[in-house]
Amino acid sequence: MTIIKAQQESWQSGMAKNITFIVTKDCQLACKYCYLVGKNVKERMPWDVAKTFIDYVLDHETDPEFAEESVVWDFIGGEPFLEIELIDKICDYIKTELFRRNHHWFNSYRFSFSTNGINYHEKAVQDFIQKNLDHLSIGITIDGTEKKHDLNRVYKITEKGSYQDVVKNIPLWLEQFPGSGTKVTISSVDIPYITESVLHLYSLGIHEVNINVVFEDVWQEGDDLKFEEQLMQLADAIIDGGYYQDYACSFFSEHIGKPMNLERDNHNWCGAGKMLSVDAAGNLYPCTRFAQYSLRDKDAWIIGNIHDGIDKNKLRPFLTLDLTTQSPQKCIECEVASGCAWCQGENYDAAKTHTVFQRATAICLMHKARVRANNYYWNKLYRKLELEDLREQYEAKKREVKPKIC
Amino acid sequence: MLQYLVILLDDTSVAYCHADNPLKEHNLTPLETLKKGILFGMKQNLMIQYVFPNYELPTAYAEVIESIDNVKIYPIGCKPVTSIEDGNDIDVEVANDVPEKVEAKNLVLRLTFSEMLKQKNEIAKLFVLGARVNLCIIDVEQFAEEQIETYKQVLNEWNTTLLNLYKQGKSPQFNLLTDRIMLEKMHNCEAGVNNITLAPNGKFYLCPAFYYDEQMKVFNQLNHHNPSSDNSVGDLEKGLDIPNPQLLHLDHAPLCRNCDAYQCRRCIWLNRRLTWDLNTPSRQQCVMAHIERNASRALLNDIRKVSKFMPEIDIKEINYLDPFEVRKEF
Ligand code: SF4
Ligand code: SF4
Repeated sequence: MTIIKAQQESWQSGMAKNITFIVTKDCQLACKYCYLVGKNVKERMPWDVAKTFIDYVLDHETDPEFAEESVVWDFIGGEPFLEIELIDKICDYIKTELFRRNHHWFNSYRFSFSTNGINYHEKAVQDFIQKNLDHLSIGITIDGTEKKHDLNRVYKITEKGSYQDVVKNIPLWLEQFPGSGTKVTISSVDIPYITESVLHLYSLGIHEVNINVVFEDVWQEGDDLKFEEQLMQLADAIIDGGYYQDYACSFFSEHIGKPMNLERDNHNWCGAGKMLSVDAAGNLYPCTRFAQYSLRDKDAWIIGNIHDGIDKNKLRPFLTLDLTTQSPQKCIECEVASGCAWCQGENYDAAKTHTVFQRATAICLMHKARVRANNYYWNKLYRKLELEDLREQYEAKKREVKPKIC
Repeated sequence: MLQYLVILLDDTSVAYCHADNPLKEHNLTPLETLKKGILFGMKQNLMIQYVFPNYELPTAYAEVIESIDNVKIYPIGCKPVTSIEDGNDIDVEVANDVPEKVEAKNLVLRLTFSEMLKQKNEIAKLFVLGARVNLCIIDVEQFAEEQIETYKQVLNEWNTTLLNLYKQGKSPQFNLLTDRIMLEKMHNCEAGVNNITLAPNGKFYLCPAFYYDEQMKVFNQLNHHNPSSDNSVGDLEKGLDIPNPQLLHLDHAPLCRNCDAYQCRRCIWLNRRLTWDLNTPSRQQCVMAHIERNASRALLNDIRKVSKFMPEIDIKEINYLDPFEVRKEF
């Protein structure tokens, strides 16, 4: 499971261009479930690649691809903070250039990071944070309880668990980014730990847990029932413990589990194609999930490079994707389809042909299990609130986690 | 629904569409394979279209080839093994240069854009010969924004020739300009939907271009993981097995299903080369098809000034050349 700070600012919810630097494919850890099949120590982004890329993006300010009002510059790895010097230089250059060019993203930008948190406290990282605090979102990855975390998130050579090195940085992180939310990803082996993990995250002071099951076909027979049971336990714990007042968990949402309105909701789920990623070699991708190191069975979907720019033909499939064209009939007719998500990269990786138009439905039973537990949660919660005459009060100030799947 | 079975009689069978045939070694379809192919066609109720190479086939093939009603597609100037004199109206001659005369009722003329420009006057002369002319531009991917006006202009010039012929009471047929004025719905290539290709190796392909790609191992260049992956969609033993067949249909092509450039080839092979998704066309294909559509509209309007022609056809004025620009955004 991973925890990543979920920023809820409105400018990030669809209005912003998301531009990702894959600064390194190296990491201190060798997590047992890491999906990055092609991780390595060699591919670090050279400065001239980063600079040429930034120049390309800013030179094309008026292109429709870069028309969004604001921008999120995302840094991922491997572990991005291993490249803090490069990142600092990139961010300084971006700020200077936005100002020099009087670019429409000047003052409407954000730097965003997903880190394992190990070197969060180090001077170089902290200096960077202080320098850019007003324009930063940082997510730290942690796997719930110490036992659970150290099962998976171990150092590369020693295989020692990393929990203690990460958790010691959580208070500093929460102090610097109060109200931080989290993102948790569940795979088959994580199911028994869901309840304790979410409660542990709450106990660390994290108030929002944004949680998803992985899209890959990892599920075993019976997982859906175990998952339902865990979510019902979690529902009981949240309701009986009174957490629903000040804490939120995205598993429980009133908007999921309904049939789709195909006219109104025929949009694609994810933003692949509207985002842009660059790797150390200067290749461009519609999203990092289309880079080679995150694909199992398919070749990278490279849409251009920093010298020749974007080949717009390669973006056309992404920008014309809709729900019905990629979904099988069972999903179009599904009674509980709303909230059932997908990842375009996984769809591509799992597809029978070279296409982004074949939706993977490995999560089907898991979504249905979630819907059942979710219905249980709201029925139980509202009954309790009604009996206590607190429903109106709750509804007036209830917090919802906007689903964030990648 | 499948209606046609295209049988490549040899690896060097003539290319008759966008893709060049890069295969140079003769590799004749074994007679047994041919017989099985014909049987498959008969059982599936498919019209057979034989594609001939540029050499005379052994006489043993003639009897087998003629054992079923068929269409012949052959390189111009090369007589297929059977007599083409008694060939039917639907046989097709294929030329890579503008010919002076055309014997069949249908001509496929394969040219690059610049060859087309150079030979535009010679092409115009073909309209009077009475054969249907299918001009196929073989370097669509090279078509650049700067060529838009040039293309409009050359189509406009051909419109003048065509209009004169209509005024003389003739009915010239030229795919780029006279198809759209008679179509009320999409009429595209439909590879894998209404036709399928049988190659000399006994396997089925969506169209000959997919067979060439496989033989030339260009699949890998097209960004696919496994270079040895074949492009075939079934074989004579097991039958057809098209993966993701829905993506070949118009209703699964988000741009095309809302488009009215009905004469467009909607070439899925070009789609795969240029956008990497079979159901998504490139800008080049769309823009060219819309220039043709708009020129057809102008021709229709001009013809209607002199005669009551196809009153049920309505080609609307539009202000875009690429449907991508007016796609529904969510
Ligand atoms: S994957 Fe299953 S649960 Fe999700 S929409 Fe499709 S049928 Fe419904
Ligand atoms: S013009 Fe473009 S959208 Fe229209 S049919 Fe042709 S390829 Fe499809």
